[in-house]
Amino acid sequence: MSARGLGPVRSTLGWLEERAGLGGAIAPALDHPVPRSTASWWYVFGSATLALFVLQVVTGICLALVYVPSAEGAYQSLLYLNFQAPFGWFLRAVHFWGSNAMVAVMTLHMIQVFLWGAHKYPRELTWIVGVFLFLCTLGMAFTGQILRWDQDAYWGLGIGASIASRAPGVGDALVSLLLGGPIIAGRTLSRFFAVHVFLVPGILIGMIGLHIWLVLRIGINEWPMPGRVVTRETYRQRYEEEVHKDGVSFFPYAARKDMVACGVVVLAVVLCAVLFGPFGPHGVPDPTLIDTAPKPDFYFLALYALFALLPPWTETVVILVGPVLAIGALFLVPFIAGTGEKSWKRRPVAVLGVLVIVLTVTTLAGLGVAVPWSPQMEAWTAAATPVRYVKGRTPLELQGALVLQNKQCRTCHSLGGGGGRRGPALDGIATRQTRDQLIRQVLQGGGNMPAYGKNLSPAEVNALVAFMGTLRP
Amino acid sequence: MTRFITAAFAAMLALAGCDAVPGRPRPDARELAPTEVMAFETLYARNCAGCHGQTGRLGAARALNDPVYLAVAPPERVRRVIATGVPGTAQPPFALSAGGPLTDSQIDVLVRGIKDRWQRPGAVTGHQIPPYDGGRAAGGDVGRGRAVFASACARCHGDDGRGGPRGGGVADSSYLALVSDQHLRTTVIAGRSDLGMPDWRGDGGTAPLTPQQVSDVVAWLVAQRRPVPGRLP
Ligand code: HEC
Ligand code: HEC
Ligand code: HEC
Repeated sequence: MSARGLGPVRSTLGWLEERAGLGGAIAPALDHPVPRSTASWWYVFGSATLALFVLQVVTGICLALVYVPSAEGAYQSLLYLNFQAPFGWFLRAVHFWGSNAMVAVMTLHMIQVFLWGAHKYPRELTWIVGVFLFLCTLGMAFTGQILRWDQDAYWGLGIGASIASRAPGVGDALVSLLLGGPIIAGRTLSRFFAVHVFLVPGILIGMIGLHIWLVLRIGINEWPMPGRVVTRETYRQRYEEEVHKDGVSFFPYAARKDMVACGVVVLAVVLCAVLFGPFGPHGVPDPTLIDTAPKPDFYFLALYALFALLPPWTETVVILVGPVLAIGALFLVPFIAGTGEKSWKRRPVAVLGVLVIVLTVTTLAGLGVAVPWSPQMEAWTAAATPVRYVKGRTPLELQGALVLQNKQCRTCHSLGGGGGRRGPALDGIATRQTRDQLIRQVLQGGGNMPAYGKNLSPAEVNALVAFMGTLRP
Repeated sequence: MTRFITAAFAAMLALAGCDAVPGRPRPDARELAPTEVMAFETLYARNCAGCHGQTGRLGAARALNDPVYLAVAPPERVRRVIATGVPGTAQPPFALSAGGPLTDSQIDVLVRGIKDRWQRPGAVTGHQIPPYDGGRAAGGDVGRGRAVFASACARCHGDDGRGGPRGGGVADSSYLALVSDQHLRTTVIAGRSDLGMPDWRGDGGTAPLTPQQVSDVVAWLVAQRRPVPGRLP
């Protein structure tokens, strides 16, 4: 389009500007000088998170137009989106992958900010608001997963409720606050819908505004130099000097990389949506089906694995105290180390801390993906006794194999690779335990294994032990 | 760069409009509730393969993929076993009405599927098949049964069923406590071809068992049941 073609647009904008003066209000924010060193690819994660948030809002509004927040309607409306509404599946897919990307990019932003020392004086408040944003985003992820209202959602919620119910004294009150009653019902869904669509997004928008206001007011963190120590007395003056001496205007000089990054992350989300499609819904929620092995979305996998690994007696303490400590620590970071060295090259403890946390969380999440601890509820009727353990066995031993299936030992124990992994694989058990040890293990249990004493007849015990006695490599 | 991103967006949106994008969910990919599954393969694999074997053979429980067995067992009896289980044995009840996971029509699919897939019309021609149903009315005689066992079974299962070179003990009191009389009868008639046990016609060396002999040998096996002493943990 030629410059002349833009004429009417210009004059309309000019008319608006003359009356509203919005451009004049924004212009200083766009033009404000920033240190040249901040125009770096490392500084784009914040904008990228914001872009993803906008994407979530847009796709979320479209989804809310169709979604029916009632126990009967929710599942059907998701099926309608998946299979009938034009582009419905695509919207769901973009919203799902967008939420994953938002959690991931936001985490990168947090790590970058921390390693570059941007939480230090005078940006403590920016960090604190950022932690709120992080928590709200996780809240969105959790409540969004519930709105899928399928098996996974149902059980995710059940687990959430059982965590809440452990809180001493206020447990029951918390549960009914969370669920809208003592049990998961239609009212629960209405509640989560309101929280996911109105409450938390409202808070998020306000907080994002505050976050950006703080960034503009105090200035973008300069690229930290090893040896240049932050003190309350000198920092602001030095920052002003740097901006003065070697500043560039934020728009378009520094913003260019931000815009490219925003484009790239949104593009990546759309690509994932096209390639991998929407997630679920997985199976109608039905409280009478206990034989599902629910798996949470990836950001909660680490927590899931942690609970699975913890010895039962520590669970309550860890579940109740752990989050409080972790969140408290995040909030306290700028007060513990609010001044001093900014460059990560001179902050070994900070770097080590980040590494340890990242490694722990990814390892736990990896373990969570494998979920060796989640029992295999279908194994007793679905995982066949391996043929090599059937051939050449006596009638009594064959009955032992059947007892092993029928008493659902394979929920926790695998044979030939099939079955749960809560207990050790029983292949080769005959080389590890004597007949008497086997009998004791089965009757008395031990470790995390239930005692079967009263639930097995003497004939069943004999058959079981006879069969296990044949399990040699 | 900007132009590339814009172009990529346009391409992606255009793609999302197509039917053939990998991300687009297929209607048949919808997950069924467990009670909606109507495919025999899935029903069998989820509910029966654990005990009766992946392919219907060589499981710990009897082969269902066995034309001789299917010629012997009436479909309504097969249906009843699946629906209500066999109390006192490892065969669980599957009907919803009996506390199991399957609807009546799913059980019908199983009964029909077992028959359609694994029955072979001419599996036993030229022989009169001993009646499937044992029960009290079968009128077996323990004394005669012992003799039948000695002549027809002992060469594999050992004298008095204590275990021999080609078959394990069948008079073991723990074994007998865990199986139903009907199971013993079914086994004597239909054998366990997957494990090398012949059916009532024997493996050539001897004459086929008569219906009376079948009842007699089952009566003898049933008579070997003894209480199994418990042990203190
Ligand atoms: C809830 C899960 C669970 C179930 C169900 C279960 N077990 Fe276990 N089992 C375990 C665990 C966990 C261990 C390890 C115990 C330990 O560390 O002392 C174990 C250990 C064993 C061992 C010793 C293994 C070894 O390598 O030392 C045997 C044998 C065994 N179980 C048999 C059985 C039998 C038979 C049944 C069914 C009647 C059964 N288990 C049911 C969880 C289970
Ligand atoms: C936990 C192990 C187990 C599972 C699972 C199981 N069965 Fe069985 N089944 C047995 C046992 C043991 C018997 C023998 C019962 C007896 O002693 O009479 C049996 C017997 C039977 C019989 C009767 C055989 C006869 O004597 O005529 C049929 C038919 C049968 N099962 C079908 C099925 C089908 C179909 C399924 C899946 C829906 C199934 N079973 C699942 C263990 C099992
Ligand atoms: C050719 C050898 C042979 C002959 C003859 C034979 N059996 Fe078997 N029988 C087997 C084999 C092999 C098995 C599989 C279990 C094993 O290996 O011990 C078996 C299994 C059995 C079982 C257990 C089946 C189960 O799944 O619970 C019974 C009961 C049985 N036989 C009874 C008899 C009787 C009664 C006779 C005589 C009418 C007989 N058998 C004849 C070889 C034989």
